[in-house]
Amino acid sequence: MKQQSLQNTTCVSLPNFWPLLCPLIVLLALLHVNSVLSNGRTLVLLDNINIKDTHSIFFRSLSDRGFDLTFKTADDPGLSLIKYGQFLFEHLIIFSPSVEDFGGNINVETITSFIDGGGNVLVAASSDIGDPLRELGSECGIEFDEEKTAVIDHHHYDVSDPGEHTLIVADPENLLKAPTIVGQPSEKPILLRESGDMVADPDNPLVLDILTGSSTSYSYFPDRPITQYPHAVGKNTLLIAGLQARNNARVIFSGSLEFFSDAFFTSSVQKAVPGSKFDQTGNQELAIALSRWVFKEEGVLRVGAVSHHPVGETTPPSAYTITDLVEYSIVIEKLSEGKWIPFSGDDIQLEFVRIDPFVRTYLKRNGGKYSVQFKLPDVYGVFQFKVDYNRLGYTHLYSSTQVSVRPLQHTQYERFIPSAFPYYASVFSMMAGLFLFSFVFLHMKEKEKSE
Amino acid sequence: MSNSVLSVISRFLEEYLSSTPTKLKMCDAYLLYILLTGVMQFLYCLLVGTFPFNSFLSGFISCVGSFILAVCLRIQINPQNKSEFLGISPERAFADFLFAHTVLHLVVINFIG
Repeated sequence: MKQQSLQNTTCVSLPNFWPLLCPLIVLLALLHVNSVLSNGRTLVLLDNINIKDTHSIFFRSLSDRGFDLTFKTADDPGLSLIKYGQFLFEHLIIFSPSVEDFGGNINVETITSFIDGGGNVLVAASSDIGDPLRELGSECGIEFDEEKTAVIDHHHYDVSDPGEHTLIVADPENLLKAPTIVGQPSEKPILLRESGDMVADPDNPLVLDILTGSSTSYSYFPDRPITQYPHAVGKNTLLIAGLQARNNARVIFSGSLEFFSDAFFTSSVQKAVPGSKFDQTGNQELAIALSRWVFKEEGVLRVGAVSHHPVGETTPPSAYTITDLVEYSIVIEKLSEGKWIPFSGDDIQLEFVRIDPFVRTYLKRNGGKYSVQFKLPDVYGVFQFKVDYNRLGYTHLYSSTQVSVRPLQHTQYERFIPSAFPYYASVFSMMAGLFLFSFVFLHMKEKEKSE
Repeated sequence: MSNSVLSVISRFLEEYLSSTPTKLKMCDAYLLYILLTGVMQFLYCLLVGTFPFNSFLSGFISCVGSFILAVCLRIQINPQNKSEFLGISPERAFADFLFAHTVLHLVVINFIG
């Protein structure tokens, strides 16, 4: 009886968990798969929770595209980007320009290491910009003007401007000429207000001037007379700036938070100094195009299979020989609507490098891949096939394949050198002459005798 | 001036044609042939350059070596020099000539590449 009861208890404890555990495990797996398949976990930091409503169109377009948005106020004490060495989010949106101190684990260093780890950041500023955002901007090569300054343009302001001329109408001509970043060109002007202006570091080659002010714009305190030279003048004023880091992480700084607001997306715009009226601003298209670029939905390239072989064969040898004919092919794909499709570019170059490039040629589109045939140089050594593609708006593509090129074997040289034929001829003629002479010499006496 | 040079040359030719044995004349013809070949090779090298230098050297040396050996043969078989080569009969001279040529041609073929 005792043994039976013991058996009963041991049998009962283990299997009872499985009916509960199995669906739980499956659910967790599904959730994990879901987050991997979606466009990315995004942390949105706001000044106050109202921004979520005033910018609802923008946020809805993001969540419609599959972004997993987490809304928090900027000084929430539980904020954290990284946990146990892994990033909790792929993207970061900072719509809190006036924050003085981020809450939780977030500060400028963690955001910078987030960018170094490949995370993308979208930052909106305004004329009330706090120190953390100013520091973040200087880390990325963008210099913000002082607090309470705004971009002023006395020639391109909207009719509904209250008088300070900070409600700026930006022409689409001032946009960067890069369709991957700013989308298709359109006629609709762009509305911004109280833009905390930016100036790009001239030495930084990675900063992109996405939307510049017109040549009549400048940045100063709107309510004070001007006593010193403004921080940014004319086309140097940046209304929207971007950066693609060397690890392909993307950052966009927008000078105006209201650029993304519902009010600006839907309002009509008319320039006060004389202008035609547009029923809708171009803000929504530009904001969506920018968000597609910065969150890596657009302008992302990757390298597929790389192959090289001598012309006429299909597998590469262990070492090429000098002056061989070689065919190189590479597959380059572009991300489009979440799928990888073949990229179509006409200016991809291949370099054949041994410290310095010996051959540099364009790659031609050939079916699904890019390929080219060329002759190896008459130099032996260890070379690399390098494809280094760095274009505005696209991720940096770099592929390097190392091969060795050996000199001719001693049996691969030509047997008889054509330019030495006279010497061969003279040697054999010497031998023939010797033979004839000795023949005649030996039989000479007989001739005399016979005469 | 030219008159005297011409007369010297014509007298030399006359003497040569009348008083040298036929054998020596054959040898001289052979020597002339070798000389012309060597000169042509040298001119070719000056024009085109010394690219396969080993080929040029071996071709030229075969000419020069053959010339030297033929001159030696001519000296040794000339009946007027019999007093200087007492132990060497013309047959012996010719045999030496052929042996030396064998060595020369072996070296030349090896070096011509």
